Amino acid sequence: MGFVDYVQAIIDGLLFGTTYSLIGIGFTLVFGVMQKINMSYAAGSLAGAYCGLVGPQLMGLPPWSVFPLSIAASGVIGYLIYLTCFRFIPLASPLATLMSTVGMLLLLDEIIVHSTAGMPQNYPAIYDGDPIEIGDFMLRADLVGVFLVCVVAMAVLLALLYRTRLGMATRAVAQQPVAAQLCGMRLQAVNGLTFVIAGLLGGVAGAMIGASVGMLSPLIAGPITVKGLIVTVIGGLGSIPGAIVAGLMVGAAENLFQALRNVTERDIYVMLLLFVFLVVRPGGLFSGRGHD
Amino acid sequence: MMLEVNDVVTAYGKIEALKGVSLSVDPGRITCLLGPNGAGKTTLMYTIAGILRPRRGSVRFDGAELVGETADRVVSRGIALVPENRLVFPHMSVAENLAAGAYLRRDRAAIASDIEALLARFPVLKERRAQQAGTLSGGEQQMLAVARALMSRPRLLMMDEPSMGLAPLIVEQIFAIVEELNRDGITIFMVEQNAHMALKVAHKFFLMEQGKVTFAGAPGDVAEDDVIQRAYLGSAKAR
Repeated sequence: MGFVDYVQAIIDGLLFGTTYSLIGIGFTLVFGVMQKINMSYAAGSLAGAYCGLVGPQLMGLPPWSVFPLSIAASGVIGYLIYLTCFRFIPLASPLATLMSTVGMLLLLDEIIVHSTAGMPQNYPAIYDGDPIEIGDFMLRADLVGVFLVCVVAMAVLLALLYRTRLGMATRAVAQQPVAAQLCGMRLQAVNGLTFVIAGLLGGVAGAMIGASVGMLSPLIAGPITVKGLIVTVIGGLGSIPGAIVAGLMVGAAENLFQALRNVTERDIYVMLLLFVFLVVRPGGLFSGRGHD
Repeated sequence: MMLEVNDVVTAYGKIEALKGVSLSVDPGRITCLLGPNGAGKTTLMYTIAGILRPRRGSVRFDGAELVGETADRVVSRGIALVPENRLVFPHMSVAENLAAGAYLRRDRAAIASDIEALLARFPVLKERRAQQAGTLSGGEQQMLAVARALMSRPRLLMMDEPSMGLAPLIVEQIFAIVEELNRDGITIFMVEQNAHMALKVAHKFFLMEQGKVTFAGAPGDVAEDDVIQRAYLGSAKAR
């Protein structure tokens, strides 16, 4: 392994890291408006991707239908998670929603395992063209596709947040919930919609993870939950730019560690990275709440 | 009567912050609510605004019951609250804060012209229209909070301690604005600890202590009432 290979690993990691960015943004959005962590978020996103497979596998739809179906299903699951784990749960208790969402994480995991008999399911690539060669380096065409889809999803989100009335309400609730209500914004409606938006983003992430790995497996839920949380912490809770940068960073770091050591040790170093951040910069890259 | 509060009880858990409050606000006037810390003034404001739910009692606005309505319904009826501590949106620009105040309105052109009109009325805000609200001084934030509340075009403007923590010169400005708004036809219901200033502008006032209204009157009556004199006028707290 030479220098070129390491740079190559970083490039691949950056491309795939956009999926982590999306998951991180989803955690951060919900934290922004509710000051709560939705532990079942990544599992919900993965469940959405599984639902997408119903289209081609059971309904005879063309393979590409899996992507829009995954995204839509994940949005619906996001709202269901809001209804079951947040809407009627006493929010004043810091542990209540943590318990309800961990419960939902396990439930979703079980549903996936039982409905697929635990077998991994093939998931189509977003694009299978030849790799693009730039000098010594090679860009995997499917990863470039994943990257582009994720970047578009982020752009749509930012436009939604900063250019629409709904986005204004989301930011207002995140920054100052009482004043937002005094302006006529409905807290529960905004919270519910935030879950749907986060769910849609998670659907994109879930679909793109499936597309770049080539399959879905219940075993993915745990690691992406952990990676998503790491991204959120490194980026700074409540910060969207932080989540984007941290997602790329974790993606690149994980691939580099994998190239330097091997796949079995990789996550150890990602955890060490988290540890370093918690010690050196506990507030995250972009500390401070309400930047969304 | 524009606003009639009748026997309102609001509680936090077992602790009753309002123990049967009754008062009324006349249209076109400035009504002040005085009282020491912890009397329940802010609780009353939040109860009227629909943020808190009373355990019992009624709040009528132009004859219609507000208890049970959500905060957005109260705003759309024509009541705006400038909350205690201003509560501006810190990471939004001044102009965005104003736009947020018009959230329930759909008339885009009128909203834009209202923003310009308010920026002209508050020149300090005009200079900072693109600046993040969190970077403004306390006085500027207070002006912004008032302007944001006006963006919903309220008929009744409620203000919770608009002078809190501000320099005397700014306090004078705020009260001048209050009188100006009232001359423009907006009914004002204001909570104030600065009894001196409040009684200069008020047409009517109520005194609240420990969750109850203990005195009601017009500013002329105050000199006779030694309760208020002792507790508020000229005391360190009143400044």
